[in-house]
Amino acid sequence: MRWTREFDLVLLATTAMTMVFGITMIYSAASASSVWRDQAMFSIGALLLAAAIVYVPDKVFYDLAYPLYIFGLLLLLAVLIWGTGEPARWLSLSPGNRLRLQPSEFAKITTIMALARYLGDQGSEAVGRPRTISASLVLTLVPLVLVMQQPDLGTAVSFGAALLPMLYWAGMRPLHIFFLLSPLLSVVFSFEPLWQNQAPIVFALFIIVSSVIIHLLLTRLWLTATLLAVNLGAGLVTTYLWSNLLRGYQKARIMTFLDPESEPLGAGWNIIQSKIAIGSGGPTGQGFLQGTQTNYEFLPAAHTDFIFSVIGEELGFLGAVFVLALFLFLIWRSLYIGAMANSRYHSLLAIGLGSLLTFHVFVNVGMTIGVIPVTGLPLPFLSYGGSSLLTNCISIGLLLNIYAHRHEY
Amino acid sequence: MVLEDWGRRMRGLLAIVAVLFSVLLLRLFHLQITTAADYAKESEDNRIAQKRLKAPRGLILDRDGEVLARNRASYSIMFTRGSRESDAEAVAAVEEALDTEVRYHRRSRNIRLLRDVDIETVAIVAERLQDDWALSVEIEPQRDYPYSELVSHLVGYLGELQETELANPGTKRYVVGDYVGKTGVEKVYEDSLRGIDGVSYIEVDARHRLKHEHPFPDRERSYIPGSDIRLTLDLDIQRAAMEALPDSLAGSVVALNAQTGAILALVSKPSFDPNAFVSYRAQEERRQLVQDEARPLLNRATQGSYPPGSTLKMVGAVAALEMGITDTLSTFEACAGSLQIGDVVFRCNNREGHGELNLLQAVETSCNIYFNHLAQILGMEAWWSCADRLGFGHSTGVDLLPEEREGLLPTRRYYREREGWVTGHLMNLVIGQGAMLVNPLQMARYVAALGNGGYLVIPHVVGPAPDLLTVEGLSENTLAIVRTAMRRVVYGEQGTGRRVAVEGLDVAGKSGTAQGPREGNDAWFIAFAPTEHPEIAVAVVVEGGGGGGSVAGPVTRKVLEAYRDDRNRRRPKMARAELGGGD
Repeated sequence: MRWTREFDLVLLATTAMTMVFGITMIYSAASASSVWRDQAMFSIGALLLAAAIVYVPDKVFYDLAYPLYIFGLLLLLAVLIWGTGEPARWLSLSPGNRLRLQPSEFAKITTIMALARYLGDQGSEAVGRPRTISASLVLTLVPLVLVMQQPDLGTAVSFGAALLPMLYWAGMRPLHIFFLLSPLLSVVFSFEPLWQNQAPIVFALFIIVSSVIIHLLLTRLWLTATLLAVNLGAGLVTTYLWSNLLRGYQKARIMTFLDPESEPLGAGWNIIQSKIAIGSGGPTGQGFLQGTQTNYEFLPAAHTDFIFSVIGEELGFLGAVFVLALFLFLIWRSLYIGAMANSRYHSLLAIGLGSLLTFHVFVNVGMTIGVIPVTGLPLPFLSYGGSSLLTNCISIGLLLNIYAHRHEY
Repeated sequence: MVLEDWGRRMRGLLAIVAVLFSVLLLRLFHLQITTAADYAKESEDNRIAQKRLKAPRGLILDRDGEVLARNRASYSIMFTRGSRESDAEAVAAVEEALDTEVRYHRRSRNIRLLRDVDIETVAIVAERLQDDWALSVEIEPQRDYPYSELVSHLVGYLGELQETELANPGTKRYVVGDYVGKTGVEKVYEDSLRGIDGVSYIEVDARHRLKHEHPFPDRERSYIPGSDIRLTLDLDIQRAAMEALPDSLAGSVVALNAQTGAILALVSKPSFDPNAFVSYRAQEERRQLVQDEARPLLNRATQGSYPPGSTLKMVGAVAALEMGITDTLSTFEACAGSLQIGDVVFRCNNREGHGELNLLQAVETSCNIYFNHLAQILGMEAWWSCADRLGFGHSTGVDLLPEEREGLLPTRRYYREREGWVTGHLMNLVIGQGAMLVNPLQMARYVAALGNGGYLVIPHVVGPAPDLLTVEGLSENTLAIVRTAMRRVVYGEQGTGRRVAVEGLDVAGKSGTAQGPREGNDAWFIAFAPTEHPEIAVAVVVEGGGGGGSVAGPVTRKVLEAYRDDRNRRRPKMARAELGGGD
């Protein structure tokens, strides 16, 4: 492997730049403590790991896909039994919790590897078959449910983030994807709090339009009928759950999740302060270290989940767009590597990793600006946290590896 | 390659990424460009706390600069609100440390937990609580009335502004919890006493710890202190009047500068301690004052309504002299102790009868029968017109609140609308009985007009003196006769006011013993001195006191003595000259 031609220096450099930027902003967010030094140490280690992964023969990741997946599941089980933290999401690696690992971060990658392996082994024609789809769903849902038990809803949902793009990339027809997605859409469109009195009308419209489209495009009556039944079922169950089974406080919790600003001193505090921080940044920001929302502690979790708010406040719209541009480049590069890959497995792996990155960025940034409910997902490469940094650098390492071996068939 | 149509699928994936990033970008643009100013304001609201710099309220002084109302430091325990749970914890900690119950409203971010606390509480908060909770001690000026009961009706008091009053126009400069003038001078001169509050800013963090003082020096404004107000009140005369009034009875004393209307003393008894209204701790005392059956809060000088009794007889005398019905020599039918008019028998204060009297003697002895005869000739309208011109039934226009009650000068029509008119009503009115009602301030103005050459002064506590009102149709001759008659009340052998004679001062006066709604007669005495060009006019009423000359007279004398001593102190040379009969 020749150093200059086979090594994706641009990807590595962009990643490193993003991480340095992250350390800088962590310094601003928590200048009183030494967390930025910890993050710098993590970063060096994680980047070295990423570079090291390049030199592993690419076949190893194919062979180890299932064993690693099983290992990931075992770790998640271990968290449920021996987990530490509040809530318990970590495994302690040393006495006194000095070094601890968040297995759910690691399991995201192993799950994507297993999915890539399974879908890669199927031909593109087989992807649409119910058996393939069911197996993919099981592969995704097992870790998802384990993480949900911790409970960590945000992370759990991110396990599903890569599934649909990978199925699509593996050759599934868009219409089938819509078919898969439609029960979820049914839940959304029949969910009363979102639509108030209009819920029945919205839901009815969705059912009619989706059925007509499916019927016209697939022209198979049993398919249309199945879709109709599944969607109606999903919608009715949602409505029934909401109006009959859920207790008042459970409803209240869901409502607060959807509209945190209804509780400005409680659940809404974070999101309100984050929006104030970002909005007050204006076009060019308050200046590095000058953000009052950040430095006067109005912004909670500034160096972890809300690091993007710090950027928005201190560097303004320009800084925020710069960060989005960095991520856009990383995402584009992942997809590009996916297209270059030398095998179906490696291609799917790259697309899966790219999708996961997209999901993380959208959910975290969306949370800080109030378009997505608060979930507690970190911003890749920028948020403080070793496990997240390590996992994201393993992703980068895998992508570098796929890129390096792109010509080896 | 993976798929035949990988290029198309790649475009599909990129399209989804593009849509997601567009959502983020548009939202960021909205927050940071379109509505950035709103968020900048909210960010500022987070960290900038406004502090009102309370303007110290002006002092209220008597004519010699003696302080009647001043400001002292009062300590409040302030609390900065956080989350509901942490607030409850903090309040519980305060309650435990201070062993007291705390009530508060979560209306604003800064909450006043305790008001006007003692210095021990301040020490406990500063030493034990301030580090753990968002508590602070605020020093505020609080009103203090050093003379307590002595000047309370005149000076008035402050009270906490109620939320309902905030809706009124003119309360823009106020916030709930401010103290504002509620009565007396405090209320009337609120605007100049109050001053204008200033404002300063501090920058704080999320836990309300101070980060910067004066973050916006150009937005700050220092306060403009309220103006001091100097009253016309003479504290020596006021004190003499207060002490002279019997403690067991309700009553009032008004002393005016007879020429200008400046109020020298204004006493209403029973009185009250105005500090009870400005102290946050004296709620129980306030409640008692409001409910007290003796009604200490009533300013009897302006709000009392009394029949004036014989002190009103000069109205009839003036009217008769002006119409030429009588003079100093002519007499009516001799007083036999009673007089029958129609079916009604009117009695004189002397049941044996005064015999034949002229006007001077009739005033001196306060003979009712003489004035009944006089009134029969005079007629209702002539008498009424004279009383009206001397200010009865009209407010005096004094600069005091609450609004004075103007009494009642009944007309013929007034009686027609009720029990019907008979001449007997005039027989009662002319001796200050019947439906006639006056307040002490009106009486002081009336007696001043008789002494000062016939004009009505406007009583006032703050100068300069308002314009005077000449009483029409009063000749110098008439007034000279009335003055002579009133002098005889004090110095005549049969005078009813002999107890009012003051050494070194020539006094003219008139007593009155009025039958009111109360048990026992209300005792009146009105006087001016010196007789020629009077300087002071006094009106005294003692509710249920009995004889005017014997009860109200001595009170008047003590007031005049205080006035005399005061005048001698002020103008020692002139006083000596007067006593020594000139150089």
